Amino acid sequence: MINNSHRAKRRTLLTGAAATAALGAAAACGDDGPAGTADDPIQISFEWWGDEARADITQQAVDLFQEKNEGIKVRTNFSDFPTYWESMTTRMAGRDLPDVLNMDYSRLLQFGSNGMLLPLEGLVDTSQFIEGFLDTGYVNDELVAVPIAGNTLGLIYRSDWYEAAGVELEPGYTWDDYHQAIASVTAELGSGSQWGGGDYAGQYHFMELWLRQQGGSFYTEDGTALNFDKSELTAWWSRNAGLHTDGAVPPIDVTTQWAPENGFVLDQLGADLGWDNFLAWYAPTVAENGGSLALAAPPTDDPSSIGLYLKPSMQLCISATTDHAEQSAQLIDFLLTDPEAIAILGTNRGIPATSVGRENVVVDEISQQVLDYEASVEQYLTTPPPPPPSATGAIEAKFGEIYEQVLYETMTPADAADTFFTEAETLLAAEQ
Amino acid sequence: MIPWIIGTAILTIGPMAWSLYLSFTDYHLIRGGEWIGLDNYTAVFNDPMFYRAVRVTLLYVVLAVPVKLVASLAVAMLLSQRRRGMSFYRAAFYMPSLIAMSVGVALIWKALFANGGVQDRFMGVFGWDGGGFLGNPSVSILMLVLLAVWSFGAPMVIFLAGLMQVPQELYEAADVDGAGKWHKFVRITLPMLSPVIFFNVLMETVGAFQVFGSAYIIGGESGSPAWSTLFYTVRIYTLAFTDFRMGYASAYAWLLVLAVGLVTAVMFRAAKRLVFYAGEDK
Repeated sequence: MINNSHRAKRRTLLTGAAATAALGAAAACGDDGPAGTADDPIQISFEWWGDEARADITQQAVDLFQEKNEGIKVRTNFSDFPTYWESMTTRMAGRDLPDVLNMDYSRLLQFGSNGMLLPLEGLVDTSQFIEGFLDTGYVNDELVAVPIAGNTLGLIYRSDWYEAAGVELEPGYTWDDYHQAIASVTAELGSGSQWGGGDYAGQYHFMELWLRQQGGSFYTEDGTALNFDKSELTAWWSRNAGLHTDGAVPPIDVTTQWAPENGFVLDQLGADLGWDNFLAWYAPTVAENGGSLALAAPPTDDPSSIGLYLKPSMQLCISATTDHAEQSAQLIDFLLTDPEAIAILGTNRGIPATSVGRENVVVDEISQQVLDYEASVEQYLTTPPPPPPSATGAIEAKFGEIYEQVLYETMTPADAADTFFTEAETLLAAEQ
Repeated sequence: MIPWIIGTAILTIGPMAWSLYLSFTDYHLIRGGEWIGLDNYTAVFNDPMFYRAVRVTLLYVVLAVPVKLVASLAVAMLLSQRRRGMSFYRAAFYMPSLIAMSVGVALIWKALFANGGVQDRFMGVFGWDGGGFLGNPSVSILMLVLLAVWSFGAPMVIFLAGLMQVPQELYEAADVDGAGKWHKFVRITLPMLSPVIFFNVLMETVGAFQVFGSAYIIGGESGSPAWSTLFYTVRIYTLAFTDFRMGYASAYAWLLVLAVGLVTAVMFRAAKRLVFYAGEDK
């Protein structure tokens, strides 16, 4: 980092020299195609998580970037979410991160507080971001990540199944109402391999939501400890037992086999809590199966407090070890603020976080649904929690694994809560 | 020798010594760490996940090693007959061991053992109602045992070589004495083969303790379902590369080295009584 100014100077010199050479070459032999910088381009790498559809459009945008910036070549790579993070954490240890990388809010502190990310102030164009969005990109008062888009939690459900069963999720419906809805829809479907809703207790994001609805939080403000006690976790992990006994939700041996697909895509699941931009992932396949999806606010026992907040769905960062900070920043600016790139990328990653993005994005029917939903809950949005502690990735995984023990009935909810506290406290301590 | 020694020193001894040092520190993969003496080792023995991983690994060793060796010996005996087309069969039986560690095979394995997959439907005919092994923690380890057994190529080839070395005169003499097939197997084949059997048992046991690739692809970092495929090495990997606790993971790793060393020593002890070397006075 100390070398930054030197590096930048050297780079400017190099780029300058290269550009001159390019001009000369172009003048000398104009019809020989691109020459000069294009012959000896600067290589940067860019990686993200997602599926092939996302990879296709991202590659198109990157190709356009390369066309417009002849001296820069971008090497791209992608994988699914868990694989992506396994790769990034391993490469973080080897100081071998890609120049530009996709960041998740839950991982920001893990990478940012360990000096893996380059400060972006003055490097990336921050003038376009919509109010409030940049707040989630700071670690130790330094901007290290810029948001691509935002999302918030919601309940995604099969409106066709719910209508057929005569079940309505009235605004302000409670968790009990939700459980009854699941049970009625499952009963109405009566197929044995389709369910009105899923067990939601294995994801820490949803427990966080439940705690926020009661005015609590998952971690303490300084991120050094859990901010709830074992009895609350025991209660959380016991609350779906009835749904399982009645067969209203899919059993664990079924759901473990869904990955990497999803219950909606497989036409087996009627409702689930989730990030609202996931609608874009599920909806096309559900439509192919002849169904339709809708978004509702999550259930709450206190209608005045839904616990929602606007979270960056994804962020872009630059590795602190990059040799090409300027070019990496150019790529980020291009992806977030170039009207053509925005049109190509669409709402695949969520509704853009920049004003130029909002003006240029083509909003299809699905994105409109998400936009409408976000508008409908806007009045309930509260301040986001501080970036979760570095150990969050590992804690999130343990949360799911240990709840599996409850579902397989190898642990009681109370034992599982004990185990989780031991594991989480060890992980939090190891990061301090 | 020199290049070999340099390679071993740099690529094996060096990292091993480094990890031994790390096991006495609270080394965090990114932030480094400090000397904490034996704290990691005492923490391991208070770690419930340690006992889970040990149970899963021991169960695998106890199941996979004997089944794999019996199967490979049986096939080796079939293939040791001198008939036409034998080399084709040998290649065919050896083939799986070359591809068993690939991602493709692991994915096929997952499909075979999913709910409604081949195993579920086949066993359903006989009244099985436990679903696919993939989602059932009480039997999921069998997937990995079967994968190991299926790839028995290496011990099979070694058995085959051993069987070829047994002097035919012994069998001819036994024929003259009127010994049956079983008698010949127990009295001639097994004793003559015992050094090879010992070698295979040793190699397979040591290998089984360290199984990682197939377990990691099928069960993932979390040893799903419900930690039932959380092998010792998978636990080490998760501790080191997801939790970043390199010091603690190194302590785990060195306990595995000790355990495997101990098992090997016990086996050599037992071998003194059980293994027969031709030409030896006894």
